[in-house]
Amino acid sequence: MSDLALDIRAVSKRYAEHVAVDTLSLAVPRGSVYGLLGPNGAGKTTTIRMVLNIIGPDEGSVTILGQPNTARSTTDRVGYLPEERGLYKKMQVRRILRFLAALKGVAQREADRRIDAWTERFQLRTAEKDWTAAKVDELSRGMQQKVQFIGTLLHDPDLVILDEPFSGLDPINAQALKDAMVELRQRGKTIIFSTHLMDNAERLCDSVCIIARGRKVLDGTVAGVKAEHGVQNIALGVGGGRDRVAERLRANPDVARIDDQNRFFEITLRKGADPQALLRDVIASGTEVQRFELVQPSLHQIFLEKVGATGVEPGMTGHG
Amino acid sequence: MDKLIAVIKREYLERVRTKWFIISTVFGPVFLLAISVLPGLLTARNIRDTQLGAIEILDASGIGLGDRLAAALRTRTPNPITLTPGRRDSALTAGAPPVNATVRVTTPSELAQAESVTTHAVIASTIRGYIVLDSASVTTGKARFAGRNTGLGEVGQIESALRSAIIMHRLALAGIVDARADSLTRVRVDVTAERLSEKGRGDSGLAGLIFGFLIAFLLYMMIILYGQNILRGVLEEKTTRVAEVVISSVSPETLLAGKVIGVGAVGLTQQLAWLTFGGLLSLYGLGAAATMGMNVTMPHVTAFQVVCLILFFLLGYTFYASLFAAVGAMCSSQEEATQAAQPVMMLLVASIILVQPIMATPTGTMANVMSMLPFSAPIIMPLVMASTDVPAWHIAVALAGLVLACVGAIWVSARIYRVGLLMTGKRPSLRELVRWVRYA
Repeated sequence: MSDLALDIRAVSKRYAEHVAVDTLSLAVPRGSVYGLLGPNGAGKTTTIRMVLNIIGPDEGSVTILGQPNTARSTTDRVGYLPEERGLYKKMQVRRILRFLAALKGVAQREADRRIDAWTERFQLRTAEKDWTAAKVDELSRGMQQKVQFIGTLLHDPDLVILDEPFSGLDPINAQALKDAMVELRQRGKTIIFSTHLMDNAERLCDSVCIIARGRKVLDGTVAGVKAEHGVQNIALGVGGGRDRVAERLRANPDVARIDDQNRFFEITLRKGADPQALLRDVIASGTEVQRFELVQPSLHQIFLEKVGATGVEPGMTGHG
Repeated sequence: MDKLIAVIKREYLERVRTKWFIISTVFGPVFLLAISVLPGLLTARNIRDTQLGAIEILDASGIGLGDRLAAALRTRTPNPITLTPGRRDSALTAGAPPVNATVRVTTPSELAQAESVTTHAVIASTIRGYIVLDSASVTTGKARFAGRNTGLGEVGQIESALRSAIIMHRLALAGIVDARADSLTRVRVDVTAERLSEKGRGDSGLAGLIFGFLIAFLLYMMIILYGQNILRGVLEEKTTRVAEVVISSVSPETLLAGKVIGVGAVGLTQQLAWLTFGGLLSLYGLGAAATMGMNVTMPHVTAFQVVCLILFFLLGYTFYASLFAAVGAMCSSQEEATQAAQPVMMLLVASIILVQPIMATPTGTMANVMSMLPFSAPIIMPLVMASTDVPAWHIAVALAGLVLACVGAIWVSARIYRVGLLMTGKRPSLRELVRWVRYA
C-alpha cells in the first residue's frame, strides 16, 4: 500500500489556445492537509479535474491511494467539492444528499444516518426547523454551501479534495468548514484544497505546492518551504525620527529592501548579513528601538516573490 | 451499475413527483379526448341546428317537379357530409331529418314577384329559405336555393333530394308508377374497406390506418415532450453547476444513459396510464356500440407488429433523446437551447408533416424512403406497417439503420456531453463541436 494519498506524475493538459497544465508532478502524503496554491488561471482546477478523471490528461498519470484514478472504484474513495457549486434547485435536501451518497455507493439507510449526523452538526436540523425536508432553493446561500460540503463527505472518503472551499463563505461558515477539515485530518483523512488565499493555507496546511502558469514553482512542507525559500525579515519599530532611520537603513549595504508598514519597517537583509550588526547600527544612531523581531517569512511573501507579477499570464482568465 | 440505477432513480422520481406530471397524466386523456371528439360533436350538433326547417319551393317548372322535390325532402335523406368515414349508422352520420317544404306553383313570368315575397318571408324568419325551380331544372338539374343558411349540409341535402325528384319524374315519363319507382330508386350504398394481407386475413383498413396514425402521433408527442424534458434537465445541471459534482462520481456516459432511461421511463409511465385509460374508455365505447347494434372492427395487430412497434419506439426515443441531450450540453441558457434544438426539431417535424401524404399512399416511394430513413423511421414505419404489409427487408433495413443511427447519436452526444457539461459561455461553433467530438 502506497503511503501517498495522491501521486501525480508529469501530467499535461493542453487546449487549443494555451497549455493549462505543463508536466506537473505532485506527491501528497497520506493524512496531511495539502494546499494547492496559485493565482487565478494557474491550472489548479484543471489539475483537480484531472485527478478526479473528469477530464483526461494529455500525458502523465494520476494515482490515488495506490490505484490509478481511471479505475472505477478509485474515485469512490474521493470526496470532491468543486469551485463552482450547485445543487438541483427543486430537490429536497435529504433526497439530494441521498442521491450524492448513492452515486458513491452508500446504501440509503447508512446515508440517512450520516445525513442526520452531519446536518445536526451544521445546524441544518435543529429543534425548530428541519431543513432537510426543504427544497434546495428555499435555503440561503450559506446553507446550500453546507449541504454541498456534507454531500462531499457522506461516503466517508479517504481523500477530500476541495476547490476554493472558502470562497463565498461568511466567517462563521468558514470557521465551521475549517473545524471540519481539522477533524477529518485528525481521523487520518487526507485533505487537498486549492486556494489563492495564502493566510488560509498558512494556517491549515502541512504541505503546499505553488503552481503558476501550469507549472510547479515549488512544493514541500510549509516549514521546509519557508526555510528553503524564505528570506529572513526583520520588523523594526522605532520611537521617533522615522525619516532619519529610514535614510540610515537605506544607506546600509546589508539591507536589500525596506518596506514601510507604518507602525514598523519590514527589512529584508542581503544573504549572509547579520541581523545583530543591523541592530547595533540602529542603536548606534541613537534611535529608541521599540521593536526588533526576526520574522518568519509568510507564504504570502514567498508566493509573491516566486510567482510575482509574471504568475498570471495576460489574457488568461477563468478557473485556476 | 448501481450508479446508473441511482441516476435513473433520481431522474424518474424527481419528474414523477412534480405537479406537472400528475396534472398532465390525469388531464392528458381528457385533453386528447376533447381535441379528438369535440370537433365532431360540435359539427354534428351544428348540423342538427341548421337542418332545413320550413322552406318554400317556387315551382315554375310547369311539370310539378316541386311536388316531387317536396316529397323527396320530406323523406329522410342520407346526409352528404360524412364525419367519420367507415362508421355507418352512428348518431353522427345519420341522415338528416325530414324537411317540411311547401310548394307554390308559379309561372316563369310571375317568378320574380313570388321570389320577392319569399325573400321577405326569409328575412322576417317565417321560413328558412326557398328553392327556385324553373322549366330547365328537370333537364339541367339546376336549381337555386336562397336562405338564411347556405351551408354545405343544407345544399347537399337539397341536391340529393332534387336528384331523386328528377329521377322520379323521368321514371314517371317512362311509364313507371310512383310506388314502383320509389322502391327502384331506394338504394343504400355503403362501401367498407377491407385490407388483405398475405395471410389472407382481412381487417378494417381504415381502423388500421387510424391505429397507425394514433401510434405515429403518440410517438411524435412522446419524443417531443420528453426530448425537450431531457434538454431542460441537462441545461439545469449545467446552469446550476451540479454537473461537476455528479460527473466526479459517475462518467458522463453513465449520466447520459441514466437520464435517457429515466426520462424514457417517465414517458412510458405516462403513456401506460393514458393507454390504460384509453383502453378502458374504448372497451366501454365498444360495449356501448355493441348494445346499439353497431359493428366496429378492431384493427388486427400481430405480436410481430407489437414487437416492431416497441423497438421503433425505444430506438426512436433514444436517438432523439441523445441528440436533445447533446444540444442541452452545448448551451448555457434556455433561449440558446431553444434555438440550438431547431435542427433536431426540424427532423421530427419533417416526419410528422409527411404523415398525411404517406397515409394516402402507404406503398408509394415517399413512404418507402421515409419509413427506412433513420430519423423518420420511428414515426413513419409504424404508420406504414399499420396500413399496409411492409416487406420484411424494409423493416430490417429501417431497424438496422436506426440502430446504427442510435449508436452514432449516443457516441457523438456522449462526447459533446462530456466536454459541454463543464463549458460555460459562448455556444460552440460547428467547427468547435467537431473538435469536441474528436478530442473528448
